[in-house]
Amino acid sequence: MTRERALILVALLAILGAVGWSARPHDVTAAERVDRITSELRCVTCQGLSVKDSPAASARQMRDIVIQRVAEGRTDDEIRDEFRASFGDWVLLSPPVSSWLGLIWLVPLAALAAGLAVALGRIRPGVPSVAAPPARELAALRERVAREEALDLPQADGAE
Amino acid sequence: MPRWLRLTIVFGIGALVVVLMLSFRRDPHDIRTGTVGKPAAAFTLDRLDGNGKVALSDHAGKVVILNFWASWCIPCKEENPALVRVWERYRSSDVVLIGILYQDSLESARGYVRDNGVTWPTVTDEDGRVAFAYGVFGIPETYFIGPDGIIAGRHIGPIDEATLVAAIDGLRPKATR
Repeated sequence: MTRERALILVALLAILGAVGWSARPHDVTAAERVDRITSELRCVTCQGLSVKDSPAASARQMRDIVIQRVAEGRTDDEIRDEFRASFGDWVLLSPPVSSWLGLIWLVPLAALAAGLAVALGRIRPGVPSVAAPPARELAALRERVAREEALDLPQADGAE
Repeated sequence: MPRWLRLTIVFGIGALVVVLMLSFRRDPHDIRTGTVGKPAAAFTLDRLDGNGKVALSDHAGKVVILNFWASWCIPCKEENPALVRVWERYRSSDVVLIGILYQDSLESARGYVRDNGVTWPTVTDEDGRVAFAYGVFGIPETYFIGPDGIIAGRHIGPIDEATLVAAIDGLRPKATR
């Protein structure tokens, strides 16, 4: 049993080591930067495809521009800004929070808040808003209850 | 349902209706994003007919109409008669029409120019850099550049003669109209 535990421990350590090794910080290559930037840019002639994923000629030309800008030493933000200058924020698949399009990020939050509010409203036990009966009706009810209890008592005694 | 929640939902739907109303009021061909209102990107491109180059700077101080097109583009063929008529009307004035070929083969484009009466200067943008600089989404797209070199407007999709004339006359100095 101890030997099996040791083997499991060694296997876990090996997995952790492999994960840590693959996730180690390393210099991002130009190709990785191009892939990252083009995956954030919208293909302008496609329906919901990124420049990276689209086979369209316009996407290929946009990718060539990104490759050239990376080779020129431009930063990711500078390259994104150049595309935004030409096509607006629309060209970014994830609109920046600071722009008007960024309001779209509020939609799921608002939907979640509305759903929670509705759910809480349904779950919370409501306080019955039954108006108290008038005094005369109340007195009649009490009298009736007392009469019925008086009738029930002998039967209950007899049942025992 | 609590009153505040009802009010919130009503307010949300009202805001959505207002946004949609404002959006639908706009002409879908007139997209004022990106490069509109900014200086027109300079370019020097080869002429399709092989006779030298055309530079935007050659036409400084004039009204310049840039029309992005291709021979395979059916809406481009639809708008071509309007471009022909407008070019005939303004060609001897301070208005320049430049066709910019977009993702097309030179042979097909030359055949199109020959068969469809395109006599205005037409240039090739083989690597798409000029289309990128202007923010072309798709063709046909037409850009209106004022005498000050600022892009005054753009039209996405096939354009008609009335829209062209209105845009051109709106940009020309009054004395030259």
